[in-house]
Amino acid sequence: MEQKYEEEIQMLQQEIEMLEAEQEETLRSIFIEHGDRLQHELKSVFEGRGGAQKPTLSKLITEVRELEKDLRRQTEINGIALNECFVKTLHKSERKLVQQLRLAGHCSVLLFQVEFAVTEIQEGDALLRRVTELNIVVDGVEFKDFSAFVSRVEDTKDLLLFFRTLRTFSERCEERRQTFQHFQEKYPDVVSLPEGCRSELMIIRSPQLPGISMTIFWKIDVSMEGVVKPSLELLLKMPDQAREFDTKKVMENGSNYFQSLLQILGVEASIEGLIRTVCL
Amino acid sequence: MKSIMETMEQGVLGHLMALERGGMGQQDQHDSQRLEMLKARAVTLRAKRDQIKQQTDVVKILKDKISKDLPLEDDAAAAGGFIEQQKSMLTAWRMQLKDLQRAHHLIGGYELVECKEGKSVCVSFHTAFEGVYLETYNMELDLTRTVQISRHNIPPSFPLESFAKQNLQKDFKAFLQTLSQNLNALAARRRQVCLLKELVGSVEVMESNQLCNILVLMCTAQSETPKAVLCTLEYGDLSQCLPTRVSIECEGFRVLNFKVIRSHDHYCVSKDERLNSIQISI
Repeated sequence: MEQKYEEEIQMLQQEIEMLEAEQEETLRSIFIEHGDRLQHELKSVFEGRGGAQKPTLSKLITEVRELEKDLRRQTEINGIALNECFVKTLHKSERKLVQQLRLAGHCSVLLFQVEFAVTEIQEGDALLRRVTELNIVVDGVEFKDFSAFVSRVEDTKDLLLFFRTLRTFSERCEERRQTFQHFQEKYPDVVSLPEGCRSELMIIRSPQLPGISMTIFWKIDVSMEGVVKPSLELLLKMPDQAREFDTKKVMENGSNYFQSLLQILGVEASIEGLIRTVCL
Repeated sequence: MKSIMETMEQGVLGHLMALERGGMGQQDQHDSQRLEMLKARAVTLRAKRDQIKQQTDVVKILKDKISKDLPLEDDAAAAGGFIEQQKSMLTAWRMQLKDLQRAHHLIGGYELVECKEGKSVCVSFHTAFEGVYLETYNMELDLTRTVQISRHNIPPSFPLESFAKQNLQKDFKAFLQTLSQNLNALAARRRQVCLLKELVGSVEVMESNQLCNILVLMCTAQSETPKAVLCTLEYGDLSQCLPTRVSIECEGFRVLNFKVIRSHDHYCVSKDERLNSIQISI
């Protein structure tokens, strides 16, 4: 008699677990496949259509509003905006959880797509968590020299290092972009950005001095350990005839002079100085 | 006529039998209590199962309607299922929001939480090394007049004050970033020491410190007579988890000092800063 009940209880518990997992998956799939429609329908829910709302609904709505507020806060402080977040639970038991996540988003103007698998095991008081797979795709003209770092991070599964580095890298890229844009707007006749303001190239040329150009390469190197190092280089071009007059050997030493200038005046003032020299 | 002994035996036996019956009765009581309990539990679970099944059905209908691009407010819905439908939609949205929160947590977010009606905030620093999540450090910052660190669980050997002095007032995000980087480096160095102790039998960790920026190892060099080699690793840059200087001592040999430099995709140790480099793989 007892045994019959015990068996039924076990069966019911399993059934409940299965139904809950099914409900979770269906809910997630609604969002994945029909997120837009869902958002649209939710608008009317939030506007409180259909007369007085039942208490269960208003409690849910408050909870959802709080979650949205918290997410805005996290996005702001982390500097990482997640536009897409798909979660698949591969295994869930009392002590173990295995999930696959697919995230897409941006850090300022840098776009990324990250897919990873995470395993969590509860051992007594401690929760052991580990990333077991990691795939990263980054998109943007800034990522020219980023691939060595990305490969390394994928190998070592260092998800946190990727995002820490991405943040720092995006800050340096933003500094470069703002500086380049500033100078192009201030000296439109002399400064050109042939590959756009997000690239590493700025050319300074005066229309009165054809054949003479100063090219600034503002590289942002990322080491395999995630150390972000900006470095600026100057390349001078002068027509052969002008070289005869180059008694002070400016062509040879120009780039070194520029490095010294950078150390003394900093980036903006140094670039401004260079531009001024061709603004006759 | 029974003898006195027989009477006594009957009495004792009878007493024993009465005790036995009493015990069984208690067992019976236990049994019937347990049966009642199991019955009640089965009923509760059945009800829960039915409720979840109903919710799941509503969710499935909702999904069906949405995927077929049907209006959600139809006759069936008006008949009372509309609220259930809305509840399902909200639950779907809530699930996504919670997933996003978890995602931020897993990618090492700071998890800023406002406390005391905005008078203070709490942040968390998650650390990990090569995919393994390690310690989480927490900090409460008081915002009343200037930004001040009020509580934290960061180890005392960590130069928290100097980082705070650098950035805390001027650039909060830079402060968080610097702390996150250095705490992760600390956790990584510590983990490397643990792994060394666990996995490499031939190396003994002689000395290490709180910040794990000095490591003294006793290795055994494979030769005809195994020699003990003492390696000292210095981690000059606290924001990194790789050494900057290596010193090797072995009896009968001169002490060798190396500086660790990075070259493209491998590390070299260069002796006396001349380019006579020896490659070591890390």
